[in-house]
Amino acid sequence: MKASRRSSWTRPGRVGLLVASLITAPVEADGDSAPRVHVQGFAAQALIGTSHNNFFGDSQDEASSEFTEAGLHATWQVRDRLLAAGQLLYRRAGESDSDGLRLDYAHLDWRFHQSDSHQIGARLGKVKIPYGLYNETRDVPFTRPGILLPQSVYFDNSRSLVLAAPGVFLYGGGVHDRGASEWSIGAIRPDFDSASVEYNFLGNDLPGKLDGRHAFGARFRWESPGDTTLALTYADAQADYAPGALDPFGAGTVDFRNLMLSVQQRFDTLTLTAEYGRPKIRLAGFGPALPDRVSQAETFYAQGEWRFAPDWELLLRHDVFYRSRKDRNGHAFAAATGLPAHGNYAHDTTLGLRWDATPSVMLRGEYHRVNGTAWVPGPDNPDFFARARDWDMWLLQAAWRF
Amino acid sequence: MIAYHQARRTIRPCHRICLLLWPLLALLCCPAIALAGVIVEAGVELRSLDATSLRNIYILRQTRWPDGQPIVVFVLPDNHPVHERFAKDTLGIYPYRLRQIWDRLSYSGMAGAPIEVRNETEMRTRVRSTPGAIGYTSKDMAHEGIKTLKLD
Repeated sequence: MKASRRSSWTRPGRVGLLVASLITAPVEADGDSAPRVHVQGFAAQALIGTSHNNFFGDSQDEASSEFTEAGLHATWQVRDRLLAAGQLLYRRAGESDSDGLRLDYAHLDWRFHQSDSHQIGARLGKVKIPYGLYNETRDVPFTRPGILLPQSVYFDNSRSLVLAAPGVFLYGGGVHDRGASEWSIGAIRPDFDSASVEYNFLGNDLPGKLDGRHAFGARFRWESPGDTTLALTYADAQADYAPGALDPFGAGTVDFRNLMLSVQQRFDTLTLTAEYGRPKIRLAGFGPALPDRVSQAETFYAQGEWRFAPDWELLLRHDVFYRSRKDRNGHAFAAATGLPAHGNYAHDTTLGLRWDATPSVMLRGEYHRVNGTAWVPGPDNPDFFARARDWDMWLLQAAWRF
Repeated sequence: MIAYHQARRTIRPCHRICLLLWPLLALLCCPAIALAGVIVEAGVELRSLDATSLRNIYILRQTRWPDGQPIVVFVLPDNHPVHERFAKDTLGIYPYRLRQIWDRLSYSGMAGAPIEVRNETEMRTRVRSTPGAIGYTSKDMAHEGIKTLKLD
């Protein structure tokens, strides 16, 4: 495995050569100089069991094996200042994601200013969306703090919104006496078109179609010379609803806005992380079946990761999600809709263990004690009244990389 | 090559002393042997490097040499003893944390990951033959086509 990781680099290696020959005119073959193509990848399989509610497949009655991830990632140094990068992703996550193989992202990165300590550039294509600390690599199991990311902030049930989208981002970064900073700002056409996103914003999978109109995103990230990371993310996305046949809803619009603060502090082998955001969702023009409304959610988590041995890591996290900041216990929601109040919130306490058995194999186990169903995947649990307020979930995952 | 053999000869007796007087000399002798040396390709126009720059290079924040040439970063496998020592003692970063940083930047397409080589022999060969290359070995030794940088 080590050999294959190495071979993917060397001159440029078999896989690299194949990719290079597929996507390019002849790559400069200048013997032993730096390789121009780098290929890396991963594959992971999880087992999930729950006491109530389904998570990524039929996890309630048996262990669900419907959470599979695999990726093939390539970067290609086209020219001195031009870098191309992209990832093919296979993902299966129960009923919420059965799309299988897809192009996760593919961008051209033109670094028009570059000194020994500063860079400014632009990324164009299907670009990764900067959002919090973990979003850009959220599908690479090795980069996540647990098998699942905190669902309040990284909501897997409307993940397509923040993954990657066609657009352009300007970015810059540099190192200075006060640490290292990194910023990006850009415009994209967001992807609202999925059953899960409709569940999340409109309450159900509807006959019509949500079309992302435009979105604006920005993030500033600073790392102190010590061991602190701070990040501030802003996102604003809009979508238009095109009603289908016999649709109870009219041609409305959805507006999603969020300002999120991320903090990470490292003490030797202990890493403490917290992220806090208040996403605002505005619905307008859907007609009498869905009156205009503005709701503000509240999302945050605090997490500790402890590398107590070189290859072992312990995770403890508490994650909180309120669908409406003004109706945290969901009583008003229940009174207005007749649906269970626990659909409006979720508190999740997670305990996890990670073992890096070799540099390329990772095994993980995780236990979640959850109160509330706000982020229970809609497509896996279509009946609101069959959802249970208090539930447990355990997950096991094996991941391999090259 | 001559310098290489001489270096080996000077180190071997040191090993023996280490074994014989282990409890006494462990602290004095072995860290000296294991100290990682930072090596660059002969064309890199530098004689020394400060600790901050070295760290910035290895966390992929500094991607160019002062003369504008792109830096090509070489590393040993995560669990290689020389890598562990280099990461912890020279850079002051745990190997798992380095891997996290590289994964975040490379999988998001923000930077190319460092080039991983299998062992120290390959490290020297690749650093020597790659313009702008930087790497590290367990021994501070002269080697044709490779410069050892002094760390400030």
